[in-house]
Amino acid sequence: MARTLRFERHTLPFRTDFTIAGTRCLIATNSHQILSAAANWKPAATCPDGATFEMEVIVDPSMDADPDRSTHFRGLRHLVFAFLPPRSFVTYDLRRKRVHALLSSAAATDHAFWNALLLPITIGVLGTTIGVAPLHCACLERDGAGVLVAGVSGAGKSTLSAALAQRGFAFISDDWTYLSVSPSGLTAHGLSAPLKLLPDTVRFFPQLRNFSPRRSLNGEMAYELDPGGSFACRVKAATAPRHLFFLERARTSGSSVVPCSPRFVRDFFESSGERLADELTDAKAFRSEVIRTLSTYPCWTLNSGESPEVTAGALDDFLREMHHAA
Amino acid sequence: MRHEDRPTYRDPLDLLRRFVPTPLKARYRVGTLPVLVETNDFSLLPAFPLETDAENRGAPALEWKLIRDPDAQDTMQSPKVLKTPSLTMIEMGPSCLVGIDHERRELLGFIGANVDAGTYREFVLPFLCLVTRNEFSTDESATALSGKKEGILDRSEP
Repeated sequence: MARTLRFERHTLPFRTDFTIAGTRCLIATNSHQILSAAANWKPAATCPDGATFEMEVIVDPSMDADPDRSTHFRGLRHLVFAFLPPRSFVTYDLRRKRVHALLSSAAATDHAFWNALLLPITIGVLGTTIGVAPLHCACLERDGAGVLVAGVSGAGKSTLSAALAQRGFAFISDDWTYLSVSPSGLTAHGLSAPLKLLPDTVRFFPQLRNFSPRRSLNGEMAYELDPGGSFACRVKAATAPRHLFFLERARTSGSSVVPCSPRFVRDFFESSGERLADELTDAKAFRSEVIRTLSTYPCWTLNSGESPEVTAGALDDFLREMHHAA
Repeated sequence: MRHEDRPTYRDPLDLLRRFVPTPLKARYRVGTLPVLVETNDFSLLPAFPLETDAENRGAPALEWKLIRDPDAQDTMQSPKVLKTPSLTMIEMGPSCLVGIDHERRELLGFIGANVDAGTYREFVLPFLCLVTRNEFSTDESATALSGKKEGILDRSEP
């Protein structure tokens, strides 16, 4: 027996808006609980110029009886489907910049679900259609200047980010950074996603012994920590990126920093980004423009065979010398 | 071809499976409504009569794109239909995910590995036909369709 749920004005009487990654989200829901989750984000009035997207949310207690599933994503053309634990189903319409979510009661009241899962995934999926390009890199800030750290999976971006944060860098993101364009240049946003460290990094960060690894979104076991809470580092929502580093692991000890070309930057990000649907031509063009702009920023390859702590020190020293030279 | 014999699609930059090749294409006649079905699996092609009229080889009125998803191995759940003014989404768990865009006249879906040919033929396809017919019943093509009682969608209903 099919059950029909209608996303219509009269079924979604509660309304609010908030900003996320420089965009404005208009939200309509049947549940006042959602309004308190949305209150964690800045009021939309602080972001008058950002692009807008709509999110319609039905909280459906009958979802609580559905099987508990891990995350599952599929997409065709402009439509994307996502099952998100606990027991929720979300669809994205990239043409119309709309999100429709069917949430279990457990998800609706779980701020971690909103802040660490639903909203980051929403910006990850919709981003390029609303002026925010998700790029696979970490982002920190030192002396007001944003530092992006890119590298292939397994290069150690998260571990280096954690080490840099422990040296006093402000933490914005450790895995995905969301870049928007403003007249003054690029802005890099983080989305309060948890800092993710693999179990073997406990040898570098003894405080991890107080926590337990758990299965993360991509299925691997990892510590997922609130960077500002349990990891006790300074967290910022956004920064203006000024430097870009590509992290490479070396087999031998020592660290080196060498400049790399704009072409390398473009090739890396163009070839590592998610393939976008053919009909999303504006989104593709926007992402390419962000990458092209980023490629004009000072960029280096950081090759290191040292521990995250020593590598972070080398990067810190390099930036300090640059700062003095400037 | 058994599901386990199918080559697995892997593209690290296409985690959503947007670009799964759909080399199988066939045109059907649904009343007066020409429908193009694209899929990666013969068993997902409807058991409808094919469109054979050369005069009706223009743009299809409706396009279905159905992907057999060998990585979705759950059993199907009771259907949930999410309706918005522009879209209808059907969710039966990861094994059956379908979106219908009313404006673009597209039906896009993933059918999991455990949905066998019988279940697809006896339950999923008739359900999709029913929803499709309901969604397009007010427009011109479907009006024509409803005038033909022996339309394929009608015959496919459970």
